[in-house]
Amino acid sequence: MKMMLNMVVAVCLLAVTNAMAVEAGVVLKDEILRKEPFGDAKPSGKLKAGQKVTIEKKDGGWLSVKSGAAKGWVRMLSVRQGSLQKSRNVADSLKSLASGRSGTGHVVATTGIRGLDEEDLKTAKFNASELDKAESYAVSREAAMQFAAQGKLKPRQVEYLPVLQ
Amino acid sequence: MKRFNIFIVLCMIMCGHAWSMDFGAELNKALRENVKKQISDNPGSAANVVSGMFGTSDDEEIAIGRQIAGNLLGASPLVKDDRLQKYVNDVGRWVASQSERPDLPWHFGVLDTADINAFAAPGGYVFVTRGLYMQLKSEAQLAGVLGHEIGHVIRKHHLKILQQSSVIDLGGQALARSVGENDKIKQLIGSGAEVMSRSLDKNAEFEADGIAVVLAARSGYDPFSYVQVLQGLNQIAKDSNSVELLFKTHPLPDARLERLSDVMGDRLDNFKGLTLDKRYYHLRQ
Repeated sequence: MKMMLNMVVAVCLLAVTNAMAVEAGVVLKDEILRKEPFGDAKPSGKLKAGQKVTIEKKDGGWLSVKSGAAKGWVRMLSVRQGSLQKSRNVADSLKSLASGRSGTGHVVATTGIRGLDEEDLKTAKFNASELDKAESYAVSREAAMQFAAQGKLKPRQVEYLPVLQ
Repeated sequence: MKRFNIFIVLCMIMCGHAWSMDFGAELNKALRENVKKQISDNPGSAANVVSGMFGTSDDEEIAIGRQIAGNLLGASPLVKDDRLQKYVNDVGRWVASQSERPDLPWHFGVLDTADINAFAAPGGYVFVTRGLYMQLKSEAQLAGVLGHEIGHVIRKHHLKILQQSSVIDLGGQALARSVGENDKIKQLIGSGAEVMSRSLDKNAEFEADGIAVVLAARSGYDPFSYVQVLQGLNQIAKDSNSVELLFKTHPLPDARLERLSDVMGDRLDNFKGLTLDKRYYHLRQ
């Protein structure tokens, strides 16, 4: 019940700030729209950097977008999805709603939430029991393979990407 | 694990002889002598000595990472949820198994803080915060995030920072994997988990992003789910407290997305994989 109420509040807050938060996007660089989600698919239009688009669906690394009369598929990495949450208050109130940690323990301070900052890290003292606990959850390579198989995950050969300097 | 392999090999060699001996102690002694030899073989700067040692000893790297991990857990304990912690270890170990260091004693955990961040300590200690975990929507997204941190470990990014900033001679002491803290290592890593709040070179972050999508793809996951995580970070106000440390120590998501776009091109277009959003372990709020 409490969770549902939190969700309702969160949804309302989101709705107030931007009604189209999930489906909107901004084109990051000039791009060609394609009829299908492939690099060699036929072009169906063009997009300019800065142009606003509506995102309709996703397929792998591709987004199906609409902007005015233009419609087609574009690489996900060429579009910044969503709109920025401008107000830090909204962002923070959402976060503290989501975390449910406001008012408890060491991580919460005066302004909304406060997480791990440099000072916390610097002054941290070795916690042997928590480390033992963390190590107790270790999973063997074999067990991880079983876990992957249960999810029907199959290992694949993929080369590392080039590193630009 | 590797140590265990060495141990087995040693045992096999010894089996031919009728000696009775404490193999563990002998192994330790051998390792210690190896380090001493390296120090005498490298009369140059102390930094070279340290670097030479790091180049050969996983045990030492793990001991350093263990100390940092213990300190980090002093700043923020784990989320008290056994199933969650087991789940991230399952995912993380599977992803790490696709790297060139599959046999490090990998450990993964979720820290109980609303801050949005993730940490990697040398030797295979990887943590995500509860704040970041709750931003994620699928196992593939988690795999990408863990893959980024695994990238820092396998390329020894933090270890290199420690080498640059320290010329302390660890000697043989660090080799003994102590149960608690180790004074020499304490000197090396400095105060608490401060090293975790230092920025890596931004190219190291870009490199880890590239490793994240590749390890996710190798593991059978949708590599573009990680792109979505970066897109999601982009939607959080830059001045939000929850991302203060993350954005201070990392290039902003826009820059990371741009670089990832440059290096990915169409290279992963044929590696659509699973998102496993249904198997994602959702935290109760």
